[in-house]
Amino acid sequence: MFKYVLRRLVYIVVVFLVASVLLFALYKSVPGDPARMMLEGNKASMKPDEYEARYQDAVRRLGLDKPVVVQYFTWLFNTIKGDFGYSLTYKMPVRQMIGVPMKNTIMLNVWSLIPVFAITIPLGIATAVRRGTRFDNVVQVVTIIGYSLPFFVIALLFIFLFAVKMPIFPISGVQTPALKGSTLRMFFDKLYHMALPLSVMVFTSLGGLTRYVRATMIEALRMDYIRTARSKGLSEKVVIYSHAFRNALIPFITIMTGWFISIFSGSVVIERTFLWNGMGKVIIDALNQQDFAVSLAMVMFYLVLSLIGNLLMDLSYGFADPRVKLD
Amino acid sequence: MTKRTYGSTFGDVIKTLFLGRRSATLSILEEEQVQSPYRTMLRNFREKWSAMLGLYIFAAIFLAVFLMPIFFPMDIKFQDPTQKNTKPSSSFMRYAKELDGAVVSIDGGSVYGVGVDVNGKIYQWGTLAAKQQKLPTSTAKFVQVSAGLDHALALDANGRVHTWGNDRFTLNAIPPLLSAQRVVQVLAGHQISMALTEGGVIHVWGNTNLITIPVPADRQGSFTKMVANTSLAMATTREKEVVVLSSRETPFSYIPGEIQGRVVDIAVTERSAAAVTDDKNVYVWGGEDHGVQQIPAHIQGKAIAISAGRGHYTALLDDGTVTSWGWNNYGQGTAPKLKNIVAISSSYFQNYAIDKDGKIFTWGLKGYLMGTDQYGRDLFTRLLTGGRVTLTIGAIAVIISGIIGIILGSFSGYYGGRTDMLLMRLAEVVNAIPFLPLAMILSAIIGSRISETGRISMIMVILGLLSWPSLARLVRGQILAAREQEFVTAAKAMGITEIKIIFRHILPNVITVVLVNLTLSFALCMLYESSLSYLGFGVNEPNATWGNMLYGCNDSTVMSQYWWRWVFPAIALSLCTVSINMAGDGMRDAIDPKSNDR
Repeated sequence: MFKYVLRRLVYIVVVFLVASVLLFALYKSVPGDPARMMLEGNKASMKPDEYEARYQDAVRRLGLDKPVVVQYFTWLFNTIKGDFGYSLTYKMPVRQMIGVPMKNTIMLNVWSLIPVFAITIPLGIATAVRRGTRFDNVVQVVTIIGYSLPFFVIALLFIFLFAVKMPIFPISGVQTPALKGSTLRMFFDKLYHMALPLSVMVFTSLGGLTRYVRATMIEALRMDYIRTARSKGLSEKVVIYSHAFRNALIPFITIMTGWFISIFSGSVVIERTFLWNGMGKVIIDALNQQDFAVSLAMVMFYLVLSLIGNLLMDLSYGFADPRVKLD
Repeated sequence: MTKRTYGSTFGDVIKTLFLGRRSATLSILEEEQVQSPYRTMLRNFREKWSAMLGLYIFAAIFLAVFLMPIFFPMDIKFQDPTQKNTKPSSSFMRYAKELDGAVVSIDGGSVYGVGVDVNGKIYQWGTLAAKQQKLPTSTAKFVQVSAGLDHALALDANGRVHTWGNDRFTLNAIPPLLSAQRVVQVLAGHQISMALTEGGVIHVWGNTNLITIPVPADRQGSFTKMVANTSLAMATTREKEVVVLSSRETPFSYIPGEIQGRVVDIAVTERSAAAVTDDKNVYVWGGEDHGVQQIPAHIQGKAIAISAGRGHYTALLDDGTVTSWGWNNYGQGTAPKLKNIVAISSSYFQNYAIDKDGKIFTWGLKGYLMGTDQYGRDLFTRLLTGGRVTLTIGAIAVIISGIIGIILGSFSGYYGGRTDMLLMRLAEVVNAIPFLPLAMILSAIIGSRISETGRISMIMVILGLLSWPSLARLVRGQILAAREQEFVTAAKAMGITEIKIIFRHILPNVITVVLVNLTLSFALCMLYESSLSYLGFGVNEPNATWGNMLYGCNDSTVMSQYWWRWVFPAIALSLCTVSINMAGDGMRDAIDPKSNDR
């Protein structure tokens, strides 16, 4: 077990390094001089020699005068230390600027977990148990439609229904502008703004997960131990929830991790549509403003997130299923 | 001699798929015959209604987007601000029935039309804004109407001017001077109004910031007719000369010298002007867009009147027929065969012709099936062409990812060991980076330096390069299972090369599973492409895809007022991906009978 984790960690480091070299190469291939862009706004107000001095200073500070290899390692160590560089648009270090969006994104994603599981697991089990019935067939078709529809189409539809036709929820944003009040009031205001993006997120995740729960459940229900449990005279409830479901849970872990990672990148679309100030919106803004330090930091964040997610997935396999030997 | 059994050839399979099974009475022996696996798959597929429905819908969409652009070609550079945000309609030329046989004056506006009957009553049709629906309340008898971009003018029998529609930019402020004079012609232009008095004086009012129409003081008092487009106006004088009313030197200023003093009628399109002289010849000068200078030879010496739209001319001949030429994107440049016509009126993309009994004939733009976008482009043609781009990008991306995935997966599965380890780690790295952010960065960095066509191919390559790992893993698993089977050992024993064993012996065994995966990832690639385009990192304007047609539609104005701009692309995209997934799902069930229960 320990050896396995160690090996996986080494592997993660290797993948991280390979990906970081690729991303850094990409970053370096961007046309334009970041040092000049940093000084862009102040150019007019400075004398030529003062500008030159400031420019040289910026070049030194950004380490652009050193060879590319040195630049790469400086960047890598800084990134590991948590210094993600300097945002040209926000004129502040990326780490400082990224705090609020990251909190917003994580909040949105974690909140969406609860309704998604509360709906998909019972629905998946119900369709698996009633396999082949009309109910099952209908749910099957509905879930295909659910996972085939693009995120943004559902988002547009929800905006149209619940923000334009029936103005129940705000059309976009994270917080009512200039709202002052107690922490509780701010919290509820945020929840109110979150309602629509959250429901879109939940809605889009339902299809795929329901189908997956159903498939693993059917597989589990076919096992010999289920027949044994039934022949012992156990009630159907116990058979389904205690015997079958616990075993169906194992492959479910895989898909859940994948889904959780994908929702982070999927939230790019949702954040853009609802102008939700999260990581996805930051990455879009950064790319539109040619602020590549920020976008690079974002992708590194996503990368680390998914690598750790994969490790946790494999480890949880070991915990959930004693038959899985991690070595 | 062996009798060929139905269903044994590829053509039969396709036929059966779409048209249904050939119903023939079979003998017991034939019925009891063992079916080939492919026939079993086909039967399973056909029995699943959702799969068949998906297949039919996708086939319909496919045919529509690949065949219909031939009949509805999209002009990629076309933009027309006068047609922007027009709702779906086909009533631009559906004139009021009361006018038939009783029309006195008729004129087309940007997306509507106005007419007056013999009783002096005004009728309107087409797409009208709220302000335009309030007709002038005067009880006077109207004799002439003129429709502009979003306002209209009417002249009553007493020579008084009335206006309605857009009332901003002082368009509603009819100069007080006019109430003392008798007006003979009114003209509603692009947010500008003009009136010509009995004394030959032109008055201009309206949005003078948009266009200025200077009237030379020394010519005032001699004008007989005026025409206008969105940038200037022209007028004829009593001396039968043409005067350009513009503050700048434009191609319109180069009036052919030989026509001055002989002009009986004039007309202007956006870029050119035309005149009919007293010897019934037509002269066109100015720009050459849409072939307006190619005047049909048969009308020379016969033309008596001319009218013009945004880019076409219609001439009335002395034998009572009409001829149109120039821009023909909405059919406005193709006049029907008519006779006994006494008056014509053209504007924007519409034509009206009136015969001697007062009967009205129309040709040109009837309306837009799916409305127009913010640049005045027809959404229906964009939807068709955009669908073709979306489907092509999806298909090529899948082909790229299919080739990479099959080759790497096969090698990985067959050779195992180090190759396997290396390739699978590579797949994991590619898979580890979240798709959309990486694709966005690649598109932003590479895309800024290449042409638009290059950009489209780049998107295909990016999608292909990033989506192969799942397929590679699937192929690897399948090959891993197949490589230990006897036929592979046999092939090896016969000394067949490894490449041949992989691609000729093993791969055909697993190809069905691969095909299902490719079908499903086709839908996925389309989704990714449209997400990228929706975010503004995919295919850009003016090219259309279903994704970028939705770009900027999360705005509340667009959502509520211009619903057609997002509803139609959203429906098309959803219908397409849902149908592909339904068909793919059905295919998976058909191939693997065990997964029937899944």
